Amino acid sequence: MKFFLFLILVYTFLTMGCAHSLNSNSSTLSPSLSTSTPPAVVTDASNSGEVNLPPREKEIKPESKSADDENFNEDEAAGEKAQIADPIEPLNRAMYHFNDKLYFWALKPVAQGYNMVVPEVARVSVKNFFSNLRFPARFVSCLLQADFSGAVTEFGRFTINTVWGIGGLLDPSSNKELDLQKQDTDLGQTLGVYGVGQGFYIVWPILGPSSPRDSVDVVGDYFLYPVSYINPWYVWLGVRGYEEVNDTSLRIGDYESLKDAAIDPYIALRDAYVQYRLKKVEQRRLKLTPSKPEEKSSPADDSVLQKN
Amino acid sequence: MKRQLAGLSILVLFLFSLPVYAGAPLNTTQVNVNKVLDVLRDPKLKSESAKETKKQKLRSIYKGMFNEIEFSKRTLARNWNKLNTAQQGEFVQLFEQVLEKAYIDKILSYTNEKIDFYKESMNSETQAEVQTKVITSSKEIPIFYRLILKDGAWKVYDVVVENVSLVLNYRTQFNDILAKDTPEQLLEVLRKKVKEQ
Repeated sequence: MKFFLFLILVYTFLTMGCAHSLNSNSSTLSPSLSTSTPPAVVTDASNSGEVNLPPREKEIKPESKSADDENFNEDEAAGEKAQIADPIEPLNRAMYHFNDKLYFWALKPVAQGYNMVVPEVARVSVKNFFSNLRFPARFVSCLLQADFSGAVTEFGRFTINTVWGIGGLLDPSSNKELDLQKQDTDLGQTLGVYGVGQGFYIVWPILGPSSPRDSVDVVGDYFLYPVSYINPWYVWLGVRGYEEVNDTSLRIGDYESLKDAAIDPYIALRDAYVQYRLKKVEQRRLKLTPSKPEEKSSPADDSVLQKN
Repeated sequence: MKRQLAGLSILVLFLFSLPVYAGAPLNTTQVNVNKVLDVLRDPKLKSESAKETKKQKLRSIYKGMFNEIEFSKRTLARNWNKLNTAQQGEFVQLFEQVLEKAYIDKILSYTNEKIDFYKESMNSETQAEVQTKVITSSKEIPIFYRLILKDGAWKVYDVVVENVSLVLNYRTQFNDILAKDTPEQLLEVLRKKVKEQ
């Protein structure tokens, strides 16, 4: 019995790492055990080695397999979480092809032409400008998530960038000194944070991959986006179209490389969308949990990953 | 006796603590990525004709950086065992070629973007994630490497770009194919993909 306890102690000791001083422990233990233990260890080892050899070999295989399985399971769990139902797949596929053609035949050529005329610095400024106008949606999302520091950050950014960033063309608030970073959040994420699932997969014409939950976001975003209130509808359409072309000009090649790398581009895009949205919601959740300061102080800590 | 035991325990402790050196996954990744950057920046290899040499060099770095079998295994997950050994071998080969052809141009188009290695988190004793970001003039692209410790070396088994894991993304596609088709048909699809690229 004592011997058994000693083995357990040694084992726990080994798995604990180097933080403990070994000497004190072994000296307190050994008085009672010093004579009996070492030979016992040897006999035990030899015994189990001789007697159990055939069954052991059998044991090892399933063990290593189960370890592999465990890896798979943990991977698979992540995979299953990133699955989405696709009951209207034929329709979605049709929409996907429509959007694909729209991109290659209209959006991309226009964006490429625009690319050649307008330098990148200007395009980034235009992007900043529109992004600044989207402040209400991010601000409201932060409030709805009770992320008040996020809301304050957003408000500060909007004020600073509008006043000192020439109406939002520049982004001085994300400089190192101010360090007010854009709160990457939207209404779809807000619903996700409160536990609303994606539902099923929808591909909207023009708008692309979505779900019932994220469609709510599209609608909410429309009402919170000042550009939507531009009066004659064709001006609104022109502005939105221009914003889209400008955004596209900054990421020509992204969709192409995803498509080229894919075996089935439709599935690849669907999966990328689901993984991306899922991660965004998880990141928000992580940010909102009260343990946040601890994580910041020890970046190497694996608690972040365990929660993921 | 007491001393011997203490000495032995200390020795064992040292042995056990070796693989847990902090920073090993991050360092390994950084060293490998820097090797890649060195090839890409090499002025001698700038010309169009040196493209093949460049690719050759990148391939050998890839071999040292990635654990291809682990990559393939995790991508197929449960379906891995549906393939026989020969098929598994061919799958690893084909999958590697698909990935190479898909991403080589992206990598070769590198133009001095900054790469920031900013975080390493240990998932378990043998699994880690190294978080990096590529900083371009207009945006930051987060790229995470997932590494596994096998045979004393940290090797990459998954790359997560903008929150999308390659392993999971391909798994969804392969699952979809294997739900209706045989492994042989999957290999045929991959062979075709490699040819057409």
